[in-house]
Amino acid sequence: MRLELQDIRKSFNRIEVLSGVDLSVTGGEILAIVGENGAGKSTMVRVISGAHPPDSGQILIDGEPVALRRPEDAMQRGIHVIYQEFLHNIFPHLSIAENLFVRDDEGRFGSLFVDKRKMRNEAMQVMEQIGLKVDPDAPAQSLSVAELQMLEIVKSLSHNIELLVLDEPTAALDEKEASRLFLLIDSLKKEGIAIVYITHRLEEVMRIADRVIVLRNGRVTLDRLTKTTTASEIVAAMVGRSLEDFYPKESHVTGDTAVKVSNAACADKFKDLSFIVRSGEVLGIGGVAGCGKGEVLRALFGVNPLSAGALALEGRTVEVKSPKQAIELGIGYISPDRQAEGLFLKQPIFDNVSIVSLDEFVALGVIRSAEEKERVEAVVKGLNVRFIHRDAEAGSLSGGNQQKLLFGRWMMKKPKIMLMEEPTRGVDIGAKAEIYKLINAQAKSGTAIVLVSSDLPELIAMSDRVLVMREGKIVAELSGVENNQSNILHYALGSNT
Amino acid sequence: MNATILKLVKDARAAMMLVIVATAIAIATPIFLTTGNLLNIVLASSVVALLAAGQTYVIILAEIDLSVGSILALSGVATALVLQAHSVFIGLIAGIGVGVLAGLINGLLVTKARMPAFIATLGTMSVFGGLTLYITQGNPISVDNGLFLDIGQANPLGVPFPAWIVLAALLCFGFLLSRTRFGRHIYAVGDNPEAARLSGINVHWIKISAFVISGMLASIAGFILTARLSTAEPTAGMGEELSAIAAVIIGGTSLMGGRGALLGSFIGAILLGVIDNGLNLLNVSPFLQGVAKGLVILLAVFIERNSDVMQLFWRKIQKDPVGRRFPEKPVPDEGNKQKEVRY
Repeated sequence: MRLELQDIRKSFNRIEVLSGVDLSVTGGEILAIVGENGAGKSTMVRVISGAHPPDSGQILIDGEPVALRRPEDAMQRGIHVIYQEFLHNIFPHLSIAENLFVRDDEGRFGSLFVDKRKMRNEAMQVMEQIGLKVDPDAPAQSLSVAELQMLEIVKSLSHNIELLVLDEPTAALDEKEASRLFLLIDSLKKEGIAIVYITHRLEEVMRIADRVIVLRNGRVTLDRLTKTTTASEIVAAMVGRSLEDFYPKESHVTGDTAVKVSNAACADKFKDLSFIVRSGEVLGIGGVAGCGKGEVLRALFGVNPLSAGALALEGRTVEVKSPKQAIELGIGYISPDRQAEGLFLKQPIFDNVSIVSLDEFVALGVIRSAEEKERVEAVVKGLNVRFIHRDAEAGSLSGGNQQKLLFGRWMMKKPKIMLMEEPTRGVDIGAKAEIYKLINAQAKSGTAIVLVSSDLPELIAMSDRVLVMREGKIVAELSGVENNQSNILHYALGSNT
Repeated sequence: MNATILKLVKDARAAMMLVIVATAIAIATPIFLTTGNLLNIVLASSVVALLAAGQTYVIILAEIDLSVGSILALSGVATALVLQAHSVFIGLIAGIGVGVLAGLINGLLVTKARMPAFIATLGTMSVFGGLTLYITQGNPISVDNGLFLDIGQANPLGVPFPAWIVLAALLCFGFLLSRTRFGRHIYAVGDNPEAARLSGINVHWIKISAFVISGMLASIAGFILTARLSTAEPTAGMGEELSAIAAVIIGGTSLMGGRGALLGSFIGAILLGVIDNGLNLLNVSPFLQGVAKGLVILLAVFIERNSDVMQLFWRKIQKDPVGRRFPEKPVPDEGNKQKEVRY
């Protein structure tokens, strides 16, 4: 099958999100679509799936103009979409087989009573095709996110399928699970299925896609075979600037020790941890998932207090038993999960920024709102946050803007020590670069920063010094030329190479 | 433009429903708009209004307090008993003390004992109600302290004293909720307790405070009811907790927490009072009053939950070229490019 979109336009509330997009994809081809948040990728997917019919433009299948007015239209033509939010489609308490054949329109397993054995056998068959080895009678909730995603793909395979659209499929997967997914995608490609792959991650594009399309502000700014393009060309097309400005690292390390951690331990998460951070320094902590790097920050911030060892701030030994105490001592923390632990999504944007600094403009418990507004405005100005109205709810912002808001919260408080975990997770490239600038600005003002990140290029580029953790212990301290990807991986994995 | 109007309809739905219902009743019966009758409504709504004020705090926290009716009765009875031997001042302190203590127990059960508020306050509702019946052996306790009875019966400046209490509560607790750090913390905890904790907010303390406020306002409502009737009825306030919750919901506070305001709850309470009063004036069977109130609650929640459907309807009447089908909420990332403010 060959799907073509010609001059597709789509607006919401008179605001154009897709401004004349052309693209085509053929059976047996993997087309990657990349772009920043807000570039129009998700709308694009919804046009293809029939969920958002375009305002104008043509959709052709094998040269014939077709109308995809509803998702059913697209499905009938063999177009299936695995959305980022595919977990909503899973019935956690039903068995895997039942989930697989939850839509049994033809009544293959009986119309009134279900032939469970037949269903089980067919489930085994389709799952075998893609190498998913699980018990079809187990409840779906016993599967990992990666397996559930495979299940979703298998589900679409049980119908006629000619085009599979995957929207950010690796967002929730680790490296190993992602590799498995890529194998599956590759085998689907070999069967002649056309694949549209939406992603943020350039490595994946270069690794699996045959062709790449870059969307920016609702337009296609690049359409190339991956063989003939480079990562920096793609980034330039995405953000309209080049990769060199991407990690704008500045070093502001001073001689003063801001934080000294000695022999710290926390239950079974980490032990015997000693390090210092100077003011103005960015200390990176790297390591594989489960090495305890995030737990260190949570312990220092008083979320799960230290069970042994000492923490000294500017030479003074302190004990941190709760986040409240930590904040009073001048410690700030950015959680890796901004929606669950960071923002107040239903509250106004400005209230989200001022929440930890309220004491500074409160008299007898009453907020001096004019002063609050003035102070927050000053901070938000430096964040380059885009919003319609300051009273709009924080939940109305895009991921990148939400993350910048969290930075704003702490920039307003001006802590002496800033702990941040995965500060750019789920954030588009443009916002990433801006967040790095915010980190620089904080370091420049003398804040000691501890940066925990799984994004190695970011960790290496933004840190003055990197600690590598493995199984709850610090196994290396790297700086200068030693601070590179292969060294970090070597120590993090404990390999002997 | 239409979006603005719809937001207004959604945000001010309680006020608009109040205006519509009041207009309809006023047209149907001339007695409705007399000063005497309006003051009657205020007087009759005062108990629910006070309970709803406390309930608003609790519901913004995504909790619920089912025990306020029982607290009302318990503190009314406690006050009446104390008044038999002591001054008004001591009596009021005792009554408020009972309310605060009861709220504290609720708060501790929900936070420290980690019980869901629905279950915890269902339990304490029964406990407080049972205690009241046991203490009084089921008999009403009469009060003859003139000063105390003034709380329910005096008319300073021609307005019933309970109305002044309600007005004072609206101003105080409205201010507390919208202008203070404590109020900001209430919204924060109701919206996202984990983020609140990581922002240095003492989540337990905030929740306990809200239950204490709810209990305290219930005891003040208990004074009003006792003073109006000159007796403390052990079964006073039964079922009022549900009217209070209804008033809060009609007023636009979300059961999911994080959203709401005190004024809406007051308007909700008045609306319920207007419906009661209007149906009485129109000689509608009292058995139908529950039906009418129920329909108002359903309508209020319907407007909240279906504002996007109404938007579609609105566009259809206006023949707006953009509105095609719903729900297709604009993707926030992509929708606000042209209107955005840049800082």
